[in-house]
Parts: sequence; C-alpha cells; structure tokens
Amino acid sequence: MTHSGEPVIRVADLKKHYGDIKAVDGVSFEVARGEVFGMLGPNGAGKTTTIEVLEGLREPDSGVVEVFGLDVCKHPDSIKQRIGVQLQSVALYPRLTVAELVDLFGSFFDHRVPAKQLIDAVDLGERANVRSMNLSGGQQQRLSIALALVNDPDLIFLDEPTTGLDPQARRSLWDLVKGIQAKGKSVLLTTHYMEEAAELCDRVAIMDHGHVLEMGTVQELIGRRFKERAVFFDTSAQLPSQKLAGLAGVTRASQEDGQTLLYSKDVPSTIGALLAMADDLSIEPKNLGIRQATLEDVFLDLTGRALRD
Amino acid sequence: MKTLIGLTVANLKSLVRDRAALFWTLFFPVMFVLLFGVLFSGSSDSKVDVGWVDQDGTTASASLRATFADVQLLKLHDGTLDEEKAAMQRGDVSAIVVVPAGLQTATASAANGKKASVSLALYTDPGQSSTDQVVEGAVTQIANGFNLAVLAPNSAPVLLVEGQSLTSTNISTVTYLVPSILAMALMQLGVFAAVPLVQQREKGILKRLGATPLARWKLVASNILLRLLVAAADAVLIVGIGMLAFNVQIVGNPVEIVLFVFLGAAAFLSLGFMLASFIKTEEQASGVVQVVQMPLMFLSGIFFPFDFMPEFLRNFARLLPLTYLGDGLRQTMVNGTQIAPLGVDAAILVGWLVVCLAIAARSFRWE
Ligand SMILES: Nc1ncnc2c1ncn2[C@@H]1O[C@H](COP(=O)(O)OP(=O)(O)O)[C@@H](O)[C@H]1O
Ligand SMILES: [Mg+2]
Repeated sequence: MTHSGEPVIRVADLKKHYGDIKAVDGVSFEVARGEVFGMLGPNGAGKTTTIEVLEGLREPDSGVVEVFGLDVCKHPDSIKQRIGVQLQSVALYPRLTVAELVDLFGSFFDHRVPAKQLIDAVDLGERANVRSMNLSGGQQQRLSIALALVNDPDLIFLDEPTTGLDPQARRSLWDLVKGIQAKGKSVLLTTHYMEEAAELCDRVAIMDHGHVLEMGTVQELIGRRFKERAVFFDTSAQLPSQKLAGLAGVTRASQEDGQTLLYSKDVPSTIGALLAMADDLSIEPKNLGIRQATLEDVFLDLTGRALRD
Repeated sequence: MKTLIGLTVANLKSLVRDRAALFWTLFFPVMFVLLFGVLFSGSSDSKVDVGWVDQDGTTASASLRATFADVQLLKLHDGTLDEEKAAMQRGDVSAIVVVPAGLQTATASAANGKKASVSLALYTDPGQSSTDQVVEGAVTQIANGFNLAVLAPNSAPVLLVEGQSLTSTNISTVTYLVPSILAMALMQLGVFAAVPLVQQREKGILKRLGATPLARWKLVASNILLRLLVAAADAVLIVGIGMLAFNVQIVGNPVEIVLFVFLGAAAFLSLGFMLASFIKTEEQASGVVQVVQMPLMFLSGIFFPFDFMPEFLRNFARLLPLTYLGDGLRQTMVNGTQIAPLGVDAAILVGWLVVCLAIAARSFRWE
C-alpha cells in the first residue's frame, strides 16, 4: 500500500512526565494518510498517554504534536471535529440505548453520519434499543467504535480496542477496523497483542518505558533481528538441546513450554539432520513444525521480557 | 442549543432510568409529604375547624350553634375562649366564634321593639386568607338570617359581627411541613447531583466528551438545567399534594416563591458540584452524600420547629444553609414565623452558592 501527501499525525520528541514517572520520554513518529499505525507495548509503556495527547485530552510537556498539520494545543476544536476517539475504557452512559448514544454523540458535531447506517455498520442493528449497560463486552466495544465514527472522521484513535474480548469478538472487531481502512481513513491503534498488530497494522512502533524501541512494518521488524526461522517439536528426553545445537544450520536451541525450538538459517538441512538423529534413536519427533519469528520474539529480544504481563 | 437540549435530555433519561436516583429526588420527598400529611392533618376531610365559645349559655345561643353546625363546611369545637385561642395558635382550629353573654336578653328586647344588639366576635388569622373568606362568609350569612328571623323588617339588626384578628403563631403542622419538605427535596436534589457526576467521571464519560467538540460550559449548563427542572417538578408535586390532599394554603407572592425555590436548588447544586470535586470513587459517592444530607435534614430547623429546639441545636442549625432555605420558603409560602428576615435568608443562600461554586470550579477534576 502506498501513502502519499502530508502525514495526518506528526509527533516529534514528545515528552510527558508525571512527577518522577516518565510516561512518554521523547517519542517521535508520523502516520501517513490512509495508514493503520499500531503502537505495541506492555502496560505502562506510554501508549495511552501518547494517544491522549494527540486527542487533545492531555497537555504535552514538550515536543511537536500535529494532527492534520495543526498543532493540537492551538487548534483543539477544529481537530476534534475531524477525529474519532475510542478511549481505553468503555465510556458510555450506562442507561442510554445504542440509538440514543449515537444520536447524542452525533449532536456534538457539525457533520454526522446517519445513525441507522452507523449502527448497522457495527452490526448492532438488532440491539439498537438496548441500554449500553446490557450489551456484551464486544458489543460495547463496537458501540464505542460507532461513536468514534459518528462524525465520519478522517483519523480514528483506538486505544486497546480488543483488550478483554473473546477471540470471536476480537475477530469481528478486526473486520471492522479493516473496513475503516478500506474507506481510506487513517487509524492509530494501540495494543499489547502482537497478533493484532500483525493482522491490522501497516506499520508498528514497539514501545516500552516511554520510548519507541523500533518502528517499521511487521516484516521489517522481524527481518531486522531474525534471519532464521525455528524448527519446533515436543521436547523429548532422548533429544536434549545440547546435542541438537550442533545440528546442521542451527544457530541456537532453546526449550519453552514443553517445546524445543531450533533456530536455523537453513531449515531443510536442519530438519534432515534432526530426523536422521531421531531415526538412529528409533524415535519420531512429535508435533514437528516450522515457524517464523513473531513480533513477540522481537519484543523479547528487544527487552528481555515477554510482551504480556 | 441543540447540543445543550440533547445533553439535558440524555441526563434526564439517565436519571429517570436510575431507580435509586429517582427515589431520592422524587419519591422520597413525596412519601414524606404523604406520611406527615396523614400523621398530622388530624381530619383529612376538607372542613374548616372553628372554635365555638358560648358565653351566653341560653336556648338562644344553643339554637344559634345548631344553625352553625348545619353548615357543611364548618366543624365546631366547643371550649372557653382561652382554650380555643390556644387551639388556634396550635393550628387545630382556623377561626373562633365567640357568642357573648346577653344574646338571649338582647333578642327578647328586640322582639319587644326595644333597641338592643350584641356582637359575635370572630377571630381569624389574616395570613390564612382563603379559610377566612369561608368562615366570614358563613358567619355573616347566619347572622343576617338570625336577624331576619327574630326582627320586624327595617328594624336595626340585633346580632352584629365584630372581626378580630389573631395571628396563629404556630401554623398547622402540615402547613409548616410542606415548605420544609420542599426545602429538603431541593437540598437532596442538589447534593445527590454529585453521584451521577462522579459516576460519569469514573466511567470516563466526562473524558470521552472532552474528546468531542462539545464545550465544557454546555456540559455544566445541562447539569444545572436538569436539576432546575427537577426542582420545579419537586415543587409542583410537593405543594400540589399539600394543597389537594391536606388543604395546605399557599399565600404569598408566587414570584418570590419561585425565586426561592430556584435559589435553593442552585445553592445546593453547587454544594453537590463541590462534593463531586472531592469524592474519588462511585462507592464513596453514595456514602458521602448520605453523610452530608442526613445532618442537614435533621439538624436544620426544617422538621422541628426552631423555637422547640434546644439552644445548642439552634445555634448549630443557624450554621446550616438548609435552615435558611426552609425559613425562606416558609415565610414566602405560608407566612410562617421567621428565623431570619427574608433578605438574610436569601443572602446566606447566595453566599453558599458563590463559595461552593468557586471551590468546585477550582478543584473539579474531569478524569
Ligand atoms: N494521570 C497520570 N498520573 C500519573 N501517572 C500516570 C498518569 N497517566 C499515566 N501515568 C503513568 O504513566 C505510565 C504510562 O502509562 P500509560 O500511558 O497509560 O501506558 P499504557 O497505555 O502503555 O499502558 C504508567 O507508568 C502510568 O502509571
Ligand atoms: Mg493504555
């Protein structure tokens, strides 16, 4: 996908400190028109702080923060007319219905999408007269997205849109985001699910402790660190990893969660050598497979910690 | 304007659909009026209670009493003048008719063509003008009828009516309570406004609204508008029930009453805003609100007549804004005895309004 013209978001050396806590400590990135840009990082990385500065909800301490080429501190009102916002926590009047909420939020904007069309777009047509407190978590998130789209915005901010949702609800939200992108809108989303970033984002910034550690497409991020792929199988006492480290092509062997992983620059040779070794021992490696490094591995490699928890 | 109305309607719907909130803002005060009304109104029929003092004690006075007793609207209570005056001051009777000694003699003289007359003394409270009219009308008519019956045409009337005014220092309990309950309701609707505000902040709704072009002043204005609407509804309900079910007479300038209702609502609403600035969680909110409203309710001079309270409580009550709202409403609505002049009541409420609002404006957090 190609993106052209002026970026919809420009952040340069953004800093936001709370006392001793450096919530955001020198973050820079740009989001192009039509791009889905993801901020991936664990809790406390500074994602929400960054996104809320962009939404005009928090004052930056220093740095350049522009949306549509406008300084967010100087032109909050005209920016707010053109952006859509979903906060990290679902913020809905609990006793208003889906239709009432869409109407209410629509009334705040100069330009608005017809309510029915919007409610159908997020697949809440049958729940239009249900109070938001009685919706499921996934339905509440979809309603939040509907409210973010009520003014037909050019740029949409989604802060952890799928946290706490079951896999099916997550999928349906992903489809929604893809639909938004297909309409040519720009999206800035945060997540701590690497699958989500990989599935939705054109580009990703990996954040930790208020810094952007790496930025690029998912393939770029993985390719930059991991030239090899991993051969994996259920760990077996007869195939200890010390012995396996010497096999053809293997750069490194490790064990996690009952699986043995052989990182290899030459997967066919490694598999050949592995099967030959197993054959000598008259055993067969169980659940043998190959996998590419993931964003999770990238994060582990960058920080020495797993992304979740 | 469209956004302001939309937001107010949204808040109104949220209020109406919240059983607990609805209970405190509407049903609780209405329950109070009904409960106290039934407890204290003695007879719930719509007759006017009249004290009957017979100082003549003859067949003539007895037949006059029978004529009065026949009037559907009146209910007679016999007693001495002192007893009936005390009853009127308590609010048990609304008027007193005194038949002087000498009625029989004067009637007999007049029948014989001699000039003679006696005066019925009629005590009424000028503050209760509509009961007055009923009683005065009845007494005058009966006196005329009596004169026509015993006298030859064109002779001077024997029975005269002499009006006396007796201000009942204590108005009837229900009449006292209606403005008090209205004051309580206005206090509650203001103080309880803190709860949805804290909820909306804790749920992130206020923050979410901050990410739209909605101006903050509209958010504040819609909250005020909603509460003033509720204040008007409370006033209509409480006063309406008092008047229709318990025969409470509202006297006084309607403009003054309306001003006091809104001033009171605004003062306590700003107290609610101030509370919302300091309360941190939704759970805290309902507790704090109760801790504030309970002492206000029971230690202000609204339910117990101020003069009956012990000295130290009275001094404490003088510090509470609800005492002055109750006082102002009683003075404007039912001509009650005053704790402070009306201007002082209003000034103290304005003072609370300004101070609480200033504190709220400084320390309110939107997230
Ligand atoms: N209003 C605030 N006051 C104090 N500290 C805050 C505030 N908001 C965020 N922080 C701190 O800043 C850091 C970054 O938080 P946040 O931006 O919410 O991270 P993320 O969204 O990536 O989980 C955390 O350590 C958090 O505790
Ligand atoms: Mg966050």
